[in-house]
Amino acid sequence: MAIAKLTALAALLFASQLSAHTLTVVPSHYVQSKTGSFVSVDVSASNMTFQADKGVGLDAFYVWLPDGSKVKPAAVYQGKRKSQAEVELATDGTYRLELGNGTRYFTSYELKGERKRLMANKKERTAKLPQGAEKVVTTQGNSRALAFVTVNKPSEAVLMPQNKGLEFQFDRHPADIVAGEEVTVILLMDGKPAAGVELDLSREGELYRNEPERKHHITDSSGKFVFSAPVAGRYLLEASYQADIASELADKVREGFTLSFEAALP
Amino acid sequence: MKFAPLALLLLSCTAAAAAAAAPLHIQLELPKPEHGPYHRPYVAVWVEDASEKPVRLIEIWREKPDWIKDLRRFWRKTGRADQPLVDARTGATKGPGRYQLSWDGKDDTGAAVAQGDYLLVLEAAREHGGRNLVKQPFRWDESALEIKVKAGTELGEIILTKGTN
Repeated sequence: MAIAKLTALAALLFASQLSAHTLTVVPSHYVQSKTGSFVSVDVSASNMTFQADKGVGLDAFYVWLPDGSKVKPAAVYQGKRKSQAEVELATDGTYRLELGNGTRYFTSYELKGERKRLMANKKERTAKLPQGAEKVVTTQGNSRALAFVTVNKPSEAVLMPQNKGLEFQFDRHPADIVAGEEVTVILLMDGKPAAGVELDLSREGELYRNEPERKHHITDSSGKFVFSAPVAGRYLLEASYQADIASELADKVREGFTLSFEAALP
Repeated sequence: MKFAPLALLLLSCTAAAAAAAAPLHIQLELPKPEHGPYHRPYVAVWVEDASEKPVRLIEIWREKPDWIKDLRRFWRKTGRADQPLVDARTGATKGPGRYQLSWDGKDDTGAAVAQGDYLLVLEAAREHGGRNLVKQPFRWDESALEIKVKAGTELGEIILTKGTN
């Protein structure tokens, strides 16, 4: 049962990279001035930014405490339109909230002109592929949805890159993002600056605007891009990266994350 | 003759000390809103240097810790990082009326600041009300000043005055 759920989530995480559905982790508060309180965290797959469409399982939702340790949320609930996690903020510092499943392998192929997919890496796929499968490509996929919450003084432990997969480094703490100020971000792939990462920056309220006002960015040769939040509010940064790789397990790598954050009033 | 330069130096020191001794007076008004339930606003008043770095927290009027974060700029610049300083400068929240504050030209460590351009920053946020931020540039030197800042919804008229030395 747990495995089935995880597989379903992995499929959704993977599918969300391909379709318009985007997984988001949105805490009720990004900044708190009191320890011992909670944040309620909305997790949803959605088409419009922060417009909940579909609740998802939270088996793979974790909280990284300011000291870097990883814990489960105090409670979770999976709703039809959105899921919710209750996260206790017992100490000062910055918390990372993340839904992610680690690396998964998917093999896509064509059989008599029809596109199909199975969960297998390059080593496993030979035994699983049907006779006559063509255009076989195995992708190593990883997708995460995350947010940071800061209680009192910001801390750095949960921001440190792990030098694994697609990660980011802001030129300031996420709690210091202010409307109208330029922010420089470096995208890292396995710890090295990654050029050609595609990014979309959107903000809440798309349902009530004719123009979604999304901004598209691509990292330059040094893995950098610069953005500024035009107004204070909640934003979503979506990043995706793909490349061919020479690996025993996959032909391609596809990595992505979504980061929700707030741009504060100046 | 030998002592003349020293005497001059002493004189200029005295002048500088006198300049620092003339405080900046801040008259601040909290308006009385006409509609809705009233809770006293949280208010912070501080000085930033020309690069918008906080130099001196003059006063913060607040009650519970939960809502200090609603003074967004204050919280980001000073509040979240220096609890002892915030506690030391905390006063009770205040209702509608006129209030007098002053700045003696010293930073948070008690050292006199250099002459130059500064910002007086006032931020007010009220439960069920709004938030106002005023960043008023002023020159800190021997000269006198009088600056009137137009009233907003949460911060009424603000008057900065300073005498000459």
